[in-house]
Amino acid sequence: MNRVAVVGIGHSKFGRRTDVSIGELAFESIKQAVDDAGVDRKDIANVVIGNMGGWSAESLPAVVVDEYAGLDGVGTMRVEAACASGSAALKSAYNSVLSGEGDLAMAVGVEKMSEVDTPTTVELIGRAGSYAWEFENYGMTFPAYYALYAVAHMNKFGTTEEDMARVAVKAHHYGAMNPLAQFQKEITLEKALGSQVVAWPLKLYDACPLTDGSAAVVLASEEVAKRLTDTPIWIRGIGCSSDSANLSRRGSYVGLDAAVRAARRAYSMAKVGPEDIDVATAHDCFTIAELMAYEDLGFCKKGEGAKMIREGQTEIGGRIPVNLDGGLKAKGHPVGATGVSMTVEITKQLRGEAGKRQAPIRKGVGLVHNIGGTGHYAYITVLARD
Amino acid sequence: MSAEPSLHSRRTLTLRFDLPISKTREFWDSLRSGKFVTTKCAKCGTVSFPPQSDCPKCMGSEFGWVDLGRDATLVTCTQVRIMPPSFAGSGPYLIAIGEFSGGAKVLAWLEGVKREEAMPGMKLRVEARASREGNPFYVFVRA
Repeated sequence: MNRVAVVGIGHSKFGRRTDVSIGELAFESIKQAVDDAGVDRKDIANVVIGNMGGWSAESLPAVVVDEYAGLDGVGTMRVEAACASGSAALKSAYNSVLSGEGDLAMAVGVEKMSEVDTPTTVELIGRAGSYAWEFENYGMTFPAYYALYAVAHMNKFGTTEEDMARVAVKAHHYGAMNPLAQFQKEITLEKALGSQVVAWPLKLYDACPLTDGSAAVVLASEEVAKRLTDTPIWIRGIGCSSDSANLSRRGSYVGLDAAVRAARRAYSMAKVGPEDIDVATAHDCFTIAELMAYEDLGFCKKGEGAKMIREGQTEIGGRIPVNLDGGLKAKGHPVGATGVSMTVEITKQLRGEAGKRQAPIRKGVGLVHNIGGTGHYAYITVLARD
Repeated sequence: MSAEPSLHSRRTLTLRFDLPISKTREFWDSLRSGKFVTTKCAKCGTVSFPPQSDCPKCMGSEFGWVDLGRDATLVTCTQVRIMPPSFAGSGPYLIAIGEFSGGAKVLAWLEGVKREEAMPGMKLRVEARASREGNPFYVFVRA
């Protein structure tokens, strides 16, 4: 099988970016990625835009972004897999290269969430499930979806609010070292535990913020990748899966079945296991989500996610460092950009370009865990130096 | 609104959806008479909740209605403190997922219970309600 590599990466500053339009925001990452890859835009066959939208003015973000960046006449579309739209864009760009459509493709993730007020965004994200059966009469919110999992996990495994707060403390610790992060400030366990409850038992500091941001990666076929760079980062496996729109139809509430299935597929395609992963990003839209991710990815046994964070096993120096970019919690979560941002981070880590927050790379394998909605979509990507 | 200069758009958009219920009408009609029913595939016997006229298991489109009864057990729950703006005035509300004896699970508000009292394993009963506009819906209460 032909191989596909990441050969160029770009990443905007994340945060409340009221200074830029969606086109301007995406351009920041596209320019960096194209320059980093050292390619001519005209040679890129396909540009896939990961974007959820609804909260931003432009209805056709793909063509708005392409026009602004001078990607004239390129094959393009916007793809949606909620908070995993970025990974869906990556998968589509990967398939484009693999199919032989062209030797180069680009995945761009971009989200502009501050164009409407915060309550409107709360409303729109709350509808991301089954509108007819679980929103119309019951007013679900995004924290509420994950709170249902948190309560079940706490009840079954004895996970505590303090365990969840530790995830936020870790995220802010590494976010403080990432100049592109929305929050670059350490927080204490007390501050996290004392924050306002948004959907019991989840508090403000258990939740990622609303973020504007973009990220981009240029992908190349094996032959072109080897010509372009000495440090191609190969996409060794992509696994994806999904689960019911209605939360009521889930088999259990202590883990995301879609993530377990996606992980199995990604590991199998990449011919690696959890023991081979040097560094990972996990989709910590809420702190409980990161603890469940450790379990769903097989980094620990079911129910032992809290033990991993308590023992520091997911920090630098621990068994598998996770979210050294600050995670969604501190780096920010521009919904459609997140999966691409995670791919940029793992590429940096595997290239050895992560500076102060560099993980030790032993086997040369990293993993991206990107979830859409509340395990409605799951995309897991395995990247490697060879 | 924003620290940076921006053009505050003059155009607004209100969305109000009409949700089709022709194929699940029996569910809503039964609810009005106090019964909680759902669909059962005539071919393979799969019980679905939410009710659906086409079987997700065998794709058969012949089905009947079964009474789920009123008793359920709390599987998990939360209390929403920051509400969507379209629920402003509904106050903090508890949401529970309850499991019926046949295995069907349902998400609904849990009324008349304090947050501290809501625990997995708690016995629930489903009850019909009507919205201010007269639309039927259902909630859980303590059994």
